Amino acid sequence: MRLALPQPWEEISHTADLGIAARGASPEEALARLVLALGALLAGGGALVEDREEEFTVREGSDLAQTAVAVLREVLYGFAARGAIPCACEVLLLRPGQARVRIATGPRDPVRHAEGADVKAVTWHEARLEPDGAGWRAQVILDV
Amino acid sequence: MARVQLRRVHDWLWEIPREGGMRVPGRVYSDGMPAPDDPALRQVANVAFLPGIVKASLAMPDMHWGYGFPIGGVAAVDPDEGAVSPGGVGYDINCGVRLVATRLSADEVRPRLHEVLAQLFRDVPTGVGSSAAIPRLSPRELDAVLAQGARWAFARGFFASAGDVEHCEEGGALAGADPAAVSDRARERGADQLGTLGSGNHFLELDVVAEIFDEPAALAFGLHPGALAVQIHSGSRGLGHQVCDEAIAGLAPAMGRHGAAYAAIPDPQLACAPVRSPAGQAYLAAMAAAANFAWANRQVMTGLSVRALCRSLGLSEGDLGARLVYDVCHNVAKHEEHVVDGRSRRLLVHRKGATRAFGPGDPRVPAAYRAVGQPVLIPGDMGRYSYVLCGAAGAMEQTFGSSCHGAGRVLSRHQALKRARGRSIHRELADRGIEVISRGKKTLGEEMSEAYKDVARVVSVVEKAGLSRLVARLEPMGVIKG
Repeated sequence: MRLALPQPWEEISHTADLGIAARGASPEEALARLVLALGALLAGGGALVEDREEEFTVREGSDLAQTAVAVLREVLYGFAARGAIPCACEVLLLRPGQARVRIATGPRDPVRHAEGADVKAVTWHEARLEPDGAGWRAQVILDV
Repeated sequence: MARVQLRRVHDWLWEIPREGGMRVPGRVYSDGMPAPDDPALRQVANVAFLPGIVKASLAMPDMHWGYGFPIGGVAAVDPDEGAVSPGGVGYDINCGVRLVATRLSADEVRPRLHEVLAQLFRDVPTGVGSSAAIPRLSPRELDAVLAQGARWAFARGFFASAGDVEHCEEGGALAGADPAAVSDRARERGADQLGTLGSGNHFLELDVVAEIFDEPAALAFGLHPGALAVQIHSGSRGLGHQVCDEAIAGLAPAMGRHGAAYAAIPDPQLACAPVRSPAGQAYLAAMAAAANFAWANRQVMTGLSVRALCRSLGLSEGDLGARLVYDVCHNVAKHEEHVVDGRSRRLLVHRKGATRAFGPGDPRVPAAYRAVGQPVLIPGDMGRYSYVLCGAAGAMEQTFGSSCHGAGRVLSRHQALKRARGRSIHRELADRGIEVISRGKKTLGEEMSEAYKDVARVVSVVEKAGLSRLVARLEPMGVIKG
């Protein structure tokens, strides 16, 4: 299912850095919301104008959490290299060690997104993608 | 997260006794007993699992919760049987700080402070993804930066004075750097970021030398009461972030291949490889190249700052009399000789949010400072003060020649923003005579004084413990944030 911003997510307090968490009915939905939570942080409340859609595959990690980290690393590289901020996301395939994701992005605007976070990296520290009650919960700590 | 046990060694030093897979105890320098539920203490204990770790997993008094290593962590390993951990260096490889002294009195500059800051803000790009301080580097030029570090920038006219390179830790270039070990993605992220500040806790600050504690040392460092000084805090930008990111992603899933000791390491962010393994060597070669990028970055910003000061004040470089006091790394892993149990050993020292602090007489300290010890630069927060210290003999005996690196956060960014709601941090600082220019308002809330420990308390611990000696206190008058 394709999800677009805004989506529900939580900020996790972490002394020097910043955590994000999102829930979904399935691991795919929780991960898609986590990708969009990263997009919301990068946009800093500024609106996004979608200008590009792409599909990518990652083949990393030995469990779902590590594969989720790999997906977010790929999204963050797109931001760092091209200023691409995710505004919609669909997780097409997710299993330990592999994910295929389609994202729509909008370009970073230095004025509109001036309050966006400077995310250096997606860490492996306390990364989770696991069942939570009736659904799933995904979280990562970001180095900012 | 399970609480750790703490045993008092001194009022300023607490020990986490060995338990489980810890190979050595943890030792935490602290102003009073650390809160036992502080998650950073568990991280100190986790670092003690590293294969080949020597003596203790150490934490400086500005310790706070990081990822993998605590911020403020120091770990030395035997390179023949130990591990190198990219998480023990961090994403911002060779994030560091430098101090430039000038011949000007701060009082001369204060009436034109706004113009000076505005010129600096125009000339030194700041903020998220900041770029284009200098023309984009060609692949060949980037190779030269990665190999030569500060020397590359110095040779192209970015400097304060002739002694700049000698006044950088390691002479501004780490040996063993291999530009070919840096990936295309990392190069892509770095090619147009040389000479840029970035954001978060990075800053460019105009300070006044407010107080001298040790006159001979201050004289050796060229610090005079009332003089204008410049601090620059930044690192290896996107290039370094990418190097660390790729190294951890490569090592974390392969930990089990190196044996049970590696498989038992409790946090994937502590992913590591034997120092002598191909993966360990590849990381060290790329990390050294990224460290050199960071030195070149701070060196370019030094040149840009000197030119901006001269232009805005209508001075010649000779009138300004800028001179690099010193440049220290905060996030790095380096081969260093240290005496352990009476025997000199070559160790790989990881410093993650810690400063090298070599004492008097050490041949690795520049000749001009050797009698007093290496300058140790400890930035505080943007509303209070920073300190200049010098390395002391106790650091060589206790901490592999290491000291604290800053104030250390006490509030998360989220908590700080909540506390800043409805306030004008900009105005509050202006009322205290400090002008701030920042790219975004949010940064000022996240970085406000209350978000940090009082750095005076932090440096008092390293002084009591004999790790460093107080030399001077600096007070901010103008601050640029990303």
